[in-house]
Amino acid sequence: MNCVRAGCCTVSLWCWMVGGGCERPHPEQHAAALSLDSPAAAQALFDSNCRGCHSQGAEGAALPLMNKNYWAIATDAVVVQAISHGQGRLMPAYIDSEGGPFTAQEIALFVKGMRSAWGAGAVGRGGGVSPLIVAGDPALGAQVFAESCASCHGSQGTAGSVTDQMYLRLVSDQGLWSSVIYGRCELGMPAWDDALPNRPSGLTVAEVAHVVSWISSQRVAAHDGSATP
Amino acid sequence: MKVLKASLGWIEERTGVVAFVAPLLFHHVPRNAKWWYVFGSATLMFFTIQLVTGVCLATVYAPSAAQAWESLNYIDNHVPMGWMLRALHGWSSNAMVVMMAIHMLQVFLHASYKYPRELNWITGVFLLLTTLALAFTGQVMRWDQDAYWGLGIGAAIADRIPLVGDEVRALLLGGPIIGGATLNRFFALHVFVLPGAAIALVGLHMVLIIKNGISEMPKPGAVVVPSMYRKEFEERMHKDGVPFVPDAAQRDMVFCGVCLIGLVALAAFYGPFGPGGMPDPTIIDTNPRPDYPFMWLFGAVSLLPPSSETAIMLIAPAVGVLILVALPFMSNSGERAPSKRPAMVLIALVTVMAIAALTWEGTTSSWSPVMNGWSSLPTPVKFVRGRTPLEMQGAVVFQFAQCRNCHSLDGLGGKRGPELDDVATRLSYDQLVRQVQQGGGNMPAYGKNLDSAQTAAVVAFLATLHPANEPDSRIPGAQLSVPTDNATAR
Amino acid sequence: MNDRPTKGCQGCGCSDASREGGAIEGQPARRGFMVKLGAGLLGVGGLLTALPIVGYIIGPATKRFTNVWVDLGAVSVFPAGQTRFATFLNPIRQPTDGDSAKTACWVRCIEAGKFQVFAINCAHLGCPVRWFEQSKLFMCPCHGGVYYQDGSRAAGPPPRGLFEYQWKVDGGKLLIDAGRLPGLEESV
Repeated sequence: MNCVRAGCCTVSLWCWMVGGGCERPHPEQHAAALSLDSPAAAQALFDSNCRGCHSQGAEGAALPLMNKNYWAIATDAVVVQAISHGQGRLMPAYIDSEGGPFTAQEIALFVKGMRSAWGAGAVGRGGGVSPLIVAGDPALGAQVFAESCASCHGSQGTAGSVTDQMYLRLVSDQGLWSSVIYGRCELGMPAWDDALPNRPSGLTVAEVAHVVSWISSQRVAAHDGSATP
Repeated sequence: MKVLKASLGWIEERTGVVAFVAPLLFHHVPRNAKWWYVFGSATLMFFTIQLVTGVCLATVYAPSAAQAWESLNYIDNHVPMGWMLRALHGWSSNAMVVMMAIHMLQVFLHASYKYPRELNWITGVFLLLTTLALAFTGQVMRWDQDAYWGLGIGAAIADRIPLVGDEVRALLLGGPIIGGATLNRFFALHVFVLPGAAIALVGLHMVLIIKNGISEMPKPGAVVVPSMYRKEFEERMHKDGVPFVPDAAQRDMVFCGVCLIGLVALAAFYGPFGPGGMPDPTIIDTNPRPDYPFMWLFGAVSLLPPSSETAIMLIAPAVGVLILVALPFMSNSGERAPSKRPAMVLIALVTVMAIAALTWEGTTSSWSPVMNGWSSLPTPVKFVRGRTPLEMQGAVVFQFAQCRNCHSLDGLGGKRGPELDDVATRLSYDQLVRQVQQGGGNMPAYGKNLDSAQTAAVVAFLATLHPANEPDSRIPGAQLSVPTDNATAR
Repeated sequence: MNDRPTKGCQGCGCSDASREGGAIEGQPARRGFMVKLGAGLLGVGGLLTALPIVGYIIGPATKRFTNVWVDLGAVSVFPAGQTRFATFLNPIRQPTDGDSAKTACWVRCIEAGKFQVFAINCAHLGCPVRWFEQSKLFMCPCHGGVYYQDGSRAAGPPPRGLFEYQWKVDGGKLLIDAGRLPGLEESV
């Protein structure tokens, strides 16, 4: 009798498994199923394509994209432009027409996704500074540099020279602009509106333009014909 | 009961099936043949499962390059229990290879291949080859990116055969490219030719087992003397043997039962293997890897020195098979006990360790660049904190120039080249410049691809990779730090 | 065979020996002839049957395919100084090939009107190489073969540089001489 009961149990269990549509335990998750402008998809794309250089927090050597300051200042158009066509000498172009892996539409969606992932807390530190470089006066910039930057970046400073010729050959003026306005707070480099020596409320927009144009003016053309940004 | 007996008798009179099977079931086997002897039965059981699940899968699988991948996804997602059948087939295939390997190892260690069981061993060797061929063709059936590029590797190896390489490759692929003809060719092998061969070989193996009996546990001093062995063995079996059913079979049953439950559990929990990415060869964002039974081969072809790899790839498998086939002829008498055959034990040990090590190497693939390392692995905080602007740009160049694909920082990155966490303790500034520009030691030369500013920046960054407590690389006359003439305005 | 002849011989009184010696005329000779005839017929028939089967099986190895000029698109999509990914449908595809008839290659435009077209397959064991514009290198994900931008071997196990397709420009379009999977007997 026990045998019969056990048999019935087995058979009914089997029928339940088969008939009840016992589903595959780990259905494959396809990344394509995610909408590209979702924060999760943006994070995934960022992790495999951008994170090598652009930081999360203190890590990474290039401009920190997961930085609220960044999303407060940079407009979507500026980010799309930089991703699509590259920036300076070390940011590659990602659009397919220039040999990159993404279409224009994918890049636009990706930027939307990044803004929804990290831009939400972007509070008003933008303060009206342009994300794109504005021309300034090098002579005035020299003074700003001496007063507010030289304590770290001058000849006595410990943060290293920003007028090193090899550095200036790699960094475009737009790159200098971005470094000044966004800073690297986690590594001790203030953003443009953080407190600076002699300037407790940071630089003005005009002072940013002046100091960037002064640093740029220190660039000497390369003797070996190597590309300048 | 009476009716059953009568009908059995009726059938027996006309077929003689009981008279045929009974001696197989109740033949005497050695009393001391204990748990060592269960692996062959388990292999056979897994083979049976392969046959049953294979036939089931063939009822839905579409053996066409245009549809195979989709039909597998259909089996996984829409056919009732389809995913489970694929999981059983996949896991059972791996289990069969493993059980067969253990069985073979046991036979090798116990020298059961000696007289009169030479042909048992040789049929076993061919069963091993057939099984591996089934595993490889089965991987092709999955028709995903791994299958496609795995075939590419097979084709490239065939292509290296002198004189007829091109013809052998065409024969393998069924044409000049990997395509529909290739899949159908492998399908015919996988479902007709190889299972047929395996069934025939299993039959032969069984006939030989019945004919020669199961070998006893080896005892030191109990030497095999071909002229006396058979008579003495039969006497011992007659006197001291036990019937296969139930005395030996009960252990087989217990072991096979455990294996089966384990198989179902693995299949139900982990599900089927793949299919991976769709077999579109224009999707090159792929990282082809073979299935586990071939991982050691994948590792081996990666680690062979390029100068001799063609010869080794082509000759070594043939030599290996030849040695296996020749083994019972090289030693078919004498001691069987492992304790009296230390050299053979050593050979077995080295072989197992080599295969395990190569499998590990193949799985970790330290020689493969991490293809998206440059764009996905960030520079660790400790290597950017306190760096100068130039050194920071150097860290970006390090990522930009894909250095990270082959070199790791803080454990993350490619393992092809050396880890660079403390490179500045090994190389001076000048040596770093030379290594970057000229390459060497299996590193490409970057001289033409990086300009002076990029090189200066990346070397400035590399020169900072120097733990404070480690001594400098002291090379006479070498410059130890970044030259100051670059930094005019410092 | 053991019983019958003796039975048969009881009637005629002849011995086995006389029978083997050909007492019953023609019998053994005919038997030998039939065996020979059977073996011969089976041999000829078997050969005739085997020929098409063997021919069918080794067919792919004997059939010669000639590569065909394949259109990779307008020259203008390959800017000078750059290396770009291109795909085409293999000209010697079969109806059942599906996606596997798609083929990829790397097109390097050295300067206007001057090209190098590399097969996607690594010269080591055929895995798909990827181009890295930044370091100007091709890298293979399988065993770490690395090539410079001109296709020459830079590092790793490949025994030679990347396989190249013949190319020509015709009517503003870039054509390559494509077909068979590239292999070691390729001249370039």
